[in-house]
Amino acid sequence: MTLSGGRDAAEIEALIADRYLESLLTAHGAGADGTPAPAELDPRLRAVADRLARDLPRLHPSFRFEEALAARLAGAGLARTLPVAAGGEGSVVSMRLPADDAERAALAAYVDIVALDDDPEGDPMRPLLIGGAALTSAALSLAGAAWVAWRWRRPAGSPMVRAVRAVARGRLD
Amino acid sequence: MARPAFRKVDRSEETGGPRLVHLDRDRPLVDAARADPAQFDALYRKYLAQVYSYAFYELGDRHEAEDATERTFLAALANLPRFEERARPMDGEGASTFKVWLFTIARNVVAERRRRRRRRPETTLDTVADLAAPLDLEADAARRDEGRAALRAVSRLTGDRRRAVVLRFVDEMSTAEIAGIMGRSEGSVRVLIHRALRNVARDLGEDRE
Repeated sequence: MTLSGGRDAAEIEALIADRYLESLLTAHGAGADGTPAPAELDPRLRAVADRLARDLPRLHPSFRFEEALAARLAGAGLARTLPVAAGGEGSVVSMRLPADDAERAALAAYVDIVALDDDPEGDPMRPLLIGGAALTSAALSLAGAAWVAWRWRRPAGSPMVRAVRAVARGRLD
Repeated sequence: MARPAFRKVDRSEETGGPRLVHLDRDRPLVDAARADPAQFDALYRKYLAQVYSYAFYELGDRHEAEDATERTFLAALANLPRFEERARPMDGEGASTFKVWLFTIARNVVAERRRRRRRRPETTLDTVADLAAPLDLEADAARRDEGRAALRAVSRLTGDRRRAVVLRFVDEMSTAEIAGIMGRSEGSVRVLIHRALRNVARDLGEDRE
């Protein structure tokens, strides 16, 4: 059946019911038991709406679940900010290893040395420094310090270098 | 680009002059969470119970509801930079497009789980009953019976009718918000809820006979 305005009876009834629900749920949210119903609303619908608003349980997950998910979300949020702060733009830096075993051992104390399968120059091992700017610079500094310390302790190969060091030691003494 | 927080709306016919309407009540929280993801916690706490309730009514199982809730919030956090506020002045001061967006995610997550399960949801009424703390045993038992009957009647509704009723009565959303979540017109949602109420009235009437 079509009524005035091109709306059928069901649509108009739905509109009336919707307006009642709006005021009912507002009253419910404010702690009131009910609200006056329009005369045009079917009493059965009003009764069912009142009952659903009153009786359908609102659920809450357990406190344990709530806190566990909060922690997980915090971790995920942190992971979204970390890449910028700690050099997540990170890159792999390869370095040629010294031929000498002792020198390699000194470097290995400070950086991870891994083999590269596709090494074009036949050098089986290189240290890889993986990470962002902060991590890479820190690793390079450590590797540099290790290399200088090792180089200082190691006797130089050529007679000229040994002579220069002897003079330097003599001056310091 | 962010839109201005307030917009001048001409309501001269109703109020005798223009007034300012807040476009989205969650905008401060959303902006804070965008600037610092740790601030997402406020949005999470605000909508946790509503999302969980929706998932529970849809899936009928506490563990599945928890899983769907978790996926919903993780997806929301991950996609927050892409969220676009679309509140209209006609939506009113209480409108939250964030809530509509969040529940759209929840709806998709729940639908995905239901597809995977390939079976009709079975509402675990015992779980619901366990949630109530029995302070007044007699009144509590009566309330529980009423709640069970209502829950049973709602769980018998077909998909969209059930969804609309749960969003309206349990999550207390407006017709406009439900329309946004379900991708329907407001008129269509009104008719959907009206038909659902008729179904429930018939069902509860049969229960009592």
